[in-house]
Amino acid sequence: MLILRRFLRDVPAVIGALIVLTLVIVAIFAPYIAPRLAEAFDSNLMMRLKPPSADYPFGTDGLGRDILSRVILGTRPALAASLIVVLGAMVIGIPLGLIAGYRDGWVSETIMRVTDVFLAVPQLVLALAMAQILSGGIWSAILALALTYWPFFTRTVYSETRRVRSALFIDALESLGASRLRILTLHVMPNVAAPVIVRATAGMGFTILTLAVLGFLGVGAAPPDPDWGLTIAESRQYLPQSWWYATFPGLAIFIVVLGFSFLGDGLRDLVDPRLRRSR
Amino acid sequence: MIGFLLRRLVMVVPALFGLLVVMFLLVRIVPADPAAVLAGDNATVAQIEQIRQTLGLDRPLYEQFWLYLTQVLQGDFGTSLYSSRPIGADIALRLGATIELTLVSLVFATAVGMVLGVLAAVRRNSLIDYVLRFISVGGLALASFWIAIMLQLLLSMHLGWLPLRGRLPASLPAPPHFTGLYLVDSLLVGRLDIFVASLSHIVLPAFTLSLAGLAAIVRFTRSSVVETMQNDFVAYERAVGYPQRRIIMPYVLRSSLITPITQVGLMFGSLISGAVAIEAIFDWPGLGFYLVQAILSSDYKAILAVTLVIGVIYAFVNIVVDVIHGLVDPRISQKG
Amino acid sequence: MRKLVLNGASALAMLSILASPVAAQSANEIVWGDLLPAALDNHVALDQPSQMVMLNVYDGLFRYIGNPPDLQPWLVEDYTGSEDGLTWEFTLKPDVKFHDGSVMTAEDVVYSFHRVLGLNKGAAGTFTPILKPENITAVDDLTVRFVLDSAYAPFLAALPLVSIVNKDLVQEHEKDGDWGAEWLASHSAGSGAYTIDPDTYRPQENLTFIRFEDHFFGWDDNPDPIEVVRAQPIQETTTRVMALMSGDIHATDSYLPTDQVRRVSSTEGVHLAQDESMRVMFLRMNNSKPPFDNINFRKCVSHAMNYEGFITGILEDYAVRNPGPIPRNLWGSPDDLVGYTYDIDLAQEYCDKAREEGAPVDREIEIYTQAQLEQTNQVAQVLQAELRKVGVTMKVIPANFFNLVAMMGTAESSPDMWVHWVSTYFVDPENWIGQTYDSAFQGSWRGSSWYTNPQLDEMLRSARVELDQDKRREVYEEASRIVVDEAVDVWVYNTVQLRGLSDQIEGYKFSPIGSGADFRYLSLKN
Repeated sequence: MLILRRFLRDVPAVIGALIVLTLVIVAIFAPYIAPRLAEAFDSNLMMRLKPPSADYPFGTDGLGRDILSRVILGTRPALAASLIVVLGAMVIGIPLGLIAGYRDGWVSETIMRVTDVFLAVPQLVLALAMAQILSGGIWSAILALALTYWPFFTRTVYSETRRVRSALFIDALESLGASRLRILTLHVMPNVAAPVIVRATAGMGFTILTLAVLGFLGVGAAPPDPDWGLTIAESRQYLPQSWWYATFPGLAIFIVVLGFSFLGDGLRDLVDPRLRRSR
Repeated sequence: MIGFLLRRLVMVVPALFGLLVVMFLLVRIVPADPAAVLAGDNATVAQIEQIRQTLGLDRPLYEQFWLYLTQVLQGDFGTSLYSSRPIGADIALRLGATIELTLVSLVFATAVGMVLGVLAAVRRNSLIDYVLRFISVGGLALASFWIAIMLQLLLSMHLGWLPLRGRLPASLPAPPHFTGLYLVDSLLVGRLDIFVASLSHIVLPAFTLSLAGLAAIVRFTRSSVVETMQNDFVAYERAVGYPQRRIIMPYVLRSSLITPITQVGLMFGSLISGAVAIEAIFDWPGLGFYLVQAILSSDYKAILAVTLVIGVIYAFVNIVVDVIHGLVDPRISQKG
Repeated sequence: MRKLVLNGASALAMLSILASPVAAQSANEIVWGDLLPAALDNHVALDQPSQMVMLNVYDGLFRYIGNPPDLQPWLVEDYTGSEDGLTWEFTLKPDVKFHDGSVMTAEDVVYSFHRVLGLNKGAAGTFTPILKPENITAVDDLTVRFVLDSAYAPFLAALPLVSIVNKDLVQEHEKDGDWGAEWLASHSAGSGAYTIDPDTYRPQENLTFIRFEDHFFGWDDNPDPIEVVRAQPIQETTTRVMALMSGDIHATDSYLPTDQVRRVSSTEGVHLAQDESMRVMFLRMNNSKPPFDNINFRKCVSHAMNYEGFITGILEDYAVRNPGPIPRNLWGSPDDLVGYTYDIDLAQEYCDKAREEGAPVDREIEIYTQAQLEQTNQVAQVLQAELRKVGVTMKVIPANFFNLVAMMGTAESSPDMWVHWVSTYFVDPENWIGQTYDSAFQGSWRGSSWYTNPQLDEMLRSARVELDQDKRREVYEEASRIVVDEAVDVWVYNTVQLRGLSDQIEGYKFSPIGSGADFRYLSLKN
């Protein structure tokens, strides 16, 4: 409860949490919230490129679809895809980090050298190349991002595990005959959980951003998906007249990513007060 | 120091080799067909089959890999499936543009970021501090490709203040090649007009590219300055009654700016990533632009080559940063 | 703070004044903002932008000029064809000079055709079935003889596909039997009205053309030609149009989206060149896959397409409805061909009928589009919305042309539907209907309908060897009616090409081959 109270005093973190909460609710109920569900996907050739109005608050796009509804529906793929990426990266990255951190010798060494391979190139560049080679599309993008993101978790878990292991109580447990699996799950995992959660929260926002870039460059989501990055790419040929076309999806990305960043910062402050921003 | 360098190299080389293996395997196991790319618009089935043989795609995988590896080690990335030109030469032509763009962004982000960071730290909890803190989180949350388009829309299309695209207007020739950086080369030959033109062309792409790094630097500088200011020595000096400015300038800055500088290596990674979309938007003829072209035309050989080259540059920059860091703080290089 | 903003603004304005492009443009130089070809060597890679190099840097034995395109002898002074259409002799004009000053001889022509056949890429597919390298010979210095394996009616029509290269120059740069391909990828070896500057060539960035004064055709028809053309493709349409409007470039590409057309038309100093071309949009259907093997289902799709809505609503009537595969402005397309009209009730009827006959109408249909070509996405989404009304679900999958081509190898792997255009490579119905619906072309992207009809095969093959054009016309008209009756594919429109041009450009001359990128006619007005 003390923790909760401390969290509530952190204004940006609370804002972040509210944004993320709203995002999740909007994503779940998107079809009910979108004011013009039918016009989100059906082209309406008579209503192309209309500026924002009371009927179409965000205007319409190049096929006469309602941009507000599409931005709302876009919360789903954004949230779902980045959730899959982050969970996928955690599923690969955490066990490897635990093993590498807990064991010594060649196993640990090999795992960490493999993470080097995937960190040898900035993540976006590697993901971009991989997504294209895997022939594009949203699933290629998701796979490519998960495949390039796991090393970050491995690294985090590895160093935390090392720290915990060098604490005396693990040696004590081992000498008492506790099994390795038991030690890892019951004693090490809880200690690693906090930094992992912090990283995953910030990672959600970061992944939404990266997915948008992939969509923008044409190797992620595909039409007619209401993907935000893709919409911005589609809008370019209608500039400068149709300014609303790119503006609103971009704002949506900004707000959502901002939400995850604020929340991630707040969580980190709770977990690791040494790093508090606002002393 | 030499031992330290060697240790770093020993770590980097296997990583780059691993990267080559992973990418090579990916290219070879996917369904898309490089031979079809090469055969072009009007190819028949028989033509594609023949190309597959001349490319050696019908030979065993390990043989193909060995061949590729020996070529790459000699600096030969083969010829583009798309333009039939040597990929290595085409990459070399584009290095200068990317280096110029990232350098200008880096310098801008670091200089402005540090000033703002110190400002925020000194005026802690004031309005400026809150604004800057919002910017430092917001800058990281902005999709750089979006802000690039928005600024292009406003500053180039509507107001006409800045050029839309490219490194130079079509009416000006590129300066002679010394460094590949137009800003430098134009001054070396005394062409002020080219210098000004290329400066006006680089403003928008470099600014949008620098935003994320700028935000990070503001943040690190601020927390690092705040930390120094709270340590005992400064507290003592302040207690004794030294004026604020006298404390900040000589002492606090010197000791607290080392931390953000170490972030430059990390920042370089984000700059290279950001440059891909930014170069595509501004037709900036660098590596990122080349990569996007290669991706659009399914030129797998070029994609592979660019990824490797970026890997090498990235490793190089990180080693340089580590060396600098080691010089500043000798404990690092001893630990390894 | 406000002061800071103002200062920033005025500094920016200063920069833009200092950098304005009035500075240095030489009197007779233009910037051409169209796409560059994938490769300079059109014997290796032949795409639509290749025409820019083929028309300006090289010459062919024949050339298409004007709109509708007229096939004229170009390098050829005189030619004869035997009665049976097998033996052809061409006499070259004397004193045709290559850019290096050497004189073109029959040997250069023979080498060029050998090179195309030997590399077996680009245009080779059109010639390999009828022409063996040993049957192309130099009779004397200026005479070339071709002996075909079988008669091929479009032979002359296809000759402009082969650029004549300078044999000695190319051979100098041959490496391990590569026909000089590596060298020619970045250089030129032609005789055309312009030569290129290899030093400033950057793929997809810049290609500089410099006028060749000794061009064999002479310059009498254009006393004030352009000396230097810098072709600089601009990737994004909006940017391209802005660059035209601000005077940075003198011409855009010729496929401006209609939304940009209005801006060009309403801007001082620039105008729109608008020409009906020969480029038909096809929505392919894989006739071998259920439910597309059911003719009623294909008719359902054909009636569900909102042709008028797409052409009027999205293309703003800058396109002409084309009911069959052959462009309506070319012979062989029946004048009275009506094709299919948008009729959602009729579509529903046909789909119901197909369902009754057991066709799996309810399975999800996949249509592939070419991700970078926005119009293919648009047309697919229009069809998708209409099909939903008759209970057919369709999924739009944007892909890359090369990945698509790789899928076309077998009927199984070919997509349900996909979108592409058939552009003009040579002006003959063979280019549109012959190489598309003759079942011999199955396995390449052209044959991706997997429609097999022995009677149609027979007709198309006979038209290929028939030399009497009136007889061929009849066959092609009949063949058009068959594929339309059978609803093999959905044909949407014939393209109107739209190019933004600076008012300073004079003498622009459009042809479906090259889309007007023939620089020799242009001059610059001040």
